[in-house]
Amino acid sequence: MTTRVGRTLDGIFSWTGRLVVGLSVAFMAIPALFIMVLSFSNDRHIGFPPETWGLDRYVEVLTSRTWLDPIVLSLEIAALTALFALILVVPAVLGMKRGNLPGGTVLESAAVAPMLFPIAAYAVGLYAVFAEADLLGTFHGIVIAHVVHAVPMVVIVLSTALDRVRPELELAAMTMGASRARAWIGITLRLLTPAVFGAATLAFVTSFDEAVFITFLGGPGLVTLPKSIFDSVQYGVDPSITAVATILMVVTAVLMLGATRMRKDVR
Amino acid sequence: MSVPTHQAPKRAGRTRERGTWTPQLSRRAGILLVTPLVLAVLLLVVYPILKLLYDSLTVGAGPGNYVDAVSSGAIRRAFVHTLLTSAAVTALSVGIGASLAWTLRRARHRVATALIWAAVLLPFWMGVVVKNYAFALLFAREGLVNEVLLGLGLVDRPVQLLYTTTAVIVGMTYTMIPYAVLALYPSMSAVDLELMNAADGLGASRRRTFTSILLPLVMPGFIAAAAIVFAISIGFYVTPVLLGGAQAPFIATVIGDDIFTFFDYPRAAAASVLLLAIALLAIGAALKAVGLKAIRGGLG
Repeated sequence: MTTRVGRTLDGIFSWTGRLVVGLSVAFMAIPALFIMVLSFSNDRHIGFPPETWGLDRYVEVLTSRTWLDPIVLSLEIAALTALFALILVVPAVLGMKRGNLPGGTVLESAAVAPMLFPIAAYAVGLYAVFAEADLLGTFHGIVIAHVVHAVPMVVIVLSTALDRVRPELELAAMTMGASRARAWIGITLRLLTPAVFGAATLAFVTSFDEAVFITFLGGPGLVTLPKSIFDSVQYGVDPSITAVATILMVVTAVLMLGATRMRKDVR
Repeated sequence: MSVPTHQAPKRAGRTRERGTWTPQLSRRAGILLVTPLVLAVLLLVVYPILKLLYDSLTVGAGPGNYVDAVSSGAIRRAFVHTLLTSAAVTALSVGIGASLAWTLRRARHRVATALIWAAVLLPFWMGVVVKNYAFALLFAREGLVNEVLLGLGLVDRPVQLLYTTTAVIVGMTYTMIPYAVLALYPSMSAVDLELMNAADGLGASRRRTFTSILLPLVMPGFIAAAAIVFAISIGFYVTPVLLGGAQAPFIATVIGDDIFTFFDYPRAAAASVLLLAIALLAIGAALKAVGLKAIRGGLG
């Protein structure tokens, strides 16, 4: 008897499970598909399903300064963010993992910690420091804030990747006459290259998508793409956002998939 | 016999003499390499937090800033609203995330696995503002959700969905599900599926297998995921503004208004410190329960 009850319960369990998973996948997919479909509409107002189809919204995005200027600004900031995050983290991870320093774990935890800070509180802390250093509303200030924002992920990716590069390989190179620099450049860094690219991509995407620091620290003069979309959604809806969003989504997806693939290449 | 004993010390001596045959760096070189990051962390992580704490106790009304913050009805309401909403978001995203992560763990079909991974990672690819925009359109009075509800005859006139707590919970859960899945997946992929087969073979029901085998194994992952999701959720700014509207603001919005509208930085600093303390409490409790490795593993 207990087995029959158990079996019925098992059946209910397994079917609710499948239902939950199916609904969850639908829930995750619908907003993205919805935006994509709307971006190919030529209707003057947003309505679903669209009555006319076309590429008007894409043409508008790629020709109007209201969208191009923020896109260019965001690209600049994101590229610099990725570069500086790598300059800070690549040597540090090598030093932490190969240097046998006391407090390596402490440094890694401290560098990763901002990921778990409520971003609004952290933004206020940075706001106070930036006010002191006259960095509020400046391009440099935003790049610095974005670097801080990107560093945790770069540390995680690179430190995980370096854990998989065995020091014995460097040792082998050195016993065969390579200098340490040669061993690092020829073996370690070459093996790390995919992870470095992956980390740079993550840093780039993190910065390109950042909307809170720019609101607290950017002032009125710096309008990045997320800020521009944010303002536009808040104060009236411009249908061309759907096209911007679709471009953003596809580019981010391609970059992130590339980054994930590269991370997996480190063996 | 005498030859090897003669040679061995000689070789060892030569290694030590050159001193380069070790993957281990000299301490000085190691310190040199980590210095830039150490400085950056001190200047941009440690200093801002300390300054926030110091300012909240010294500028304006001094320690009275906290009295100010706590006695303000707006801030109290915002705190309660933020914490309750974030708790709901945490429960939902960890729950949904667990079912997705477990499906990914068990899945054998490659295309299905790829599709589920894509669905899970979509919120990451969509961008912070874009996904909230999508929900704002879906939840609008003439939006798709209302159309479907009307079409199914579940309601007879459009219901107010946008600018409600429900909308905020849905939007935030959507954002946090990938974090939950990524935090849960490592502990789930470490589960040996043979254990479940063994339990099954020994006559345990699925429910029994679940509660006695699976649950204890994945519990650390659950705790890490919940702490991570909760700590990130309570700082949300964009979603509550775009989907929640003005009547029930999150604490982040109130802090922002304090700085930019009321120019009351001292009170904003005190509220920020309280917010940070709650996040650290959540993370600290999780650290105590499951340790640094589980939390770190949950971050990727």
